[in-house]
Amino acid sequence: MKFMGYRRPDGRVGVRNYLAIIPSVFCANKTIERIAAQVPGAVALRHPVGCAQVGLDLDITARTLCAMGTHPNVGAVLIVGLGCERFKPQELYEAVKASGKPVEMITIQEEGGTSAAITHGVELARKLKEYVDVQERTQCDVSELIIATKCGGTDATSGLAANPAVGNMADRIVAEGGSAILSELNELLGTEDMLAKRAVSPEIAQKIYDAIHEIEDLLQSGLDFRLSGNRNELISPGNFAGGVSSVVEKALGGVHKSGTSKVVDVLQYATAPEKGKHGLFLMDYESHDGEVVTGMIGCGAQIVAFTTGRGNPTGHPLAPVIKVTGNYKTYESMKENFDFDASGIISAGDSVEEKGAQLTDYVLRVAEGELTSAERIGGDELFCIGRRHGYHRKDAGAMLNTRDTLGCC
Amino acid sequence: MQRRSMMIHPEDSVAMVLEDSLKGDTIKTARGEVTLLEDVEFAHKVAVVPLKKGDSVIKYQEEIGYMLCDAPAGTWIHSHNMGCDRGKVEVKA
Repeated sequence: MKFMGYRRPDGRVGVRNYLAIIPSVFCANKTIERIAAQVPGAVALRHPVGCAQVGLDLDITARTLCAMGTHPNVGAVLIVGLGCERFKPQELYEAVKASGKPVEMITIQEEGGTSAAITHGVELARKLKEYVDVQERTQCDVSELIIATKCGGTDATSGLAANPAVGNMADRIVAEGGSAILSELNELLGTEDMLAKRAVSPEIAQKIYDAIHEIEDLLQSGLDFRLSGNRNELISPGNFAGGVSSVVEKALGGVHKSGTSKVVDVLQYATAPEKGKHGLFLMDYESHDGEVVTGMIGCGAQIVAFTTGRGNPTGHPLAPVIKVTGNYKTYESMKENFDFDASGIISAGDSVEEKGAQLTDYVLRVAEGELTSAERIGGDELFCIGRRHGYHRKDAGAMLNTRDTLGCC
Repeated sequence: MQRRSMMIHPEDSVAMVLEDSLKGDTIKTARGEVTLLEDVEFAHKVAVVPLKKGDSVIKYQEEIGYMLCDAPAGTWIHSHNMGCDRGKVEVKA
């Protein structure tokens, strides 16, 4: 199966062609926004990190920013630093440069303040935009696609219609040699045995158990029963209102969006699969919508399939986010925020296969440039950089023990 | 009146109503006809067999939680009468 995409100098394939303006630290946020405002088509990747961080937390920030700069949906990059931050803009510059795409860098301290940085930044961005604008789509193979899957604003219809339709689409992409990513491991509690059975090897099965148990351990360490009840809920008020009663019920519905393919590996946050590895991946992260979507895009996903029963307007600045619902009421009331209605699986007797095939066709149209609802609205809320502090236990044996004391439910 | 409903697996212990339903309405399920004992909103769960305190609640052929109290068939099943300890420190007593 073929589609028209952007082939980048490093051989990767994009479905969009952005000029990205990336601050190496939050101190440059207003500067990059004001530069982007003067260069139509440029996207500003505002974020709140880049300094006063250490260890794994700083590494995830560095990894994510480099992954955004080298992402195949990006044609060229302008980096704006402050000049004294912990995440050095030079590191981002080198990473983008190594991918072979055009990149420029300035720092506000060296330019002599905000206004001077904006003036110079606009000049550089306009030049980069000229390069981006002459890029053309060429024929690419579906095996180059990586589809991220995510649910947000889940209700009980997500597990019945929207997630199975997305899972069927993921199976079709994987069958064509492409890839899909499932994450939100805290919302997979209770499905670890099923997923481990689908692992390509005992080694990957163990990686699945370790990743899910580590997340469960992290959740436990984060709860504090001295605080009032709603500080310790593992799923959101909207999930409860939509008829989902426990984290395991949500998980059993959520796991369907991965389809039925074998799990080929467990990826770290914002880290590309090994070269040549294709298929279904898990990414080790929890379910904050923005952080997990940004992490999967950081792994190389060019498109996101996002299921929601309650309705959700969010988008990502670098990748189209396809909104799928299984709830006919929500679809009717929030049409402008949806791209695909899978509710017929519940209300009209449509088959999952039929909806999965239609969704796959739509995914390929989006890959070729058709705008999603979130892109039309300009949604960019999902660009959030993951945070991890050095508080988790690394002893897999200890994590397995907690599992025994917890029982099944 | 009879309402539309769905069970994921014929051996599950709960079904979901596919429309907002009222006390006294009925649903046809793989485990027999059930009369709703209270109003139940679209996509929420109803016990299709009598459940005892501590029983597993089964959906997708898997345990999604356990009963915090006894509930006859037709009871709305949700977080007020079903518990789940996964991811939490406090474990089932």
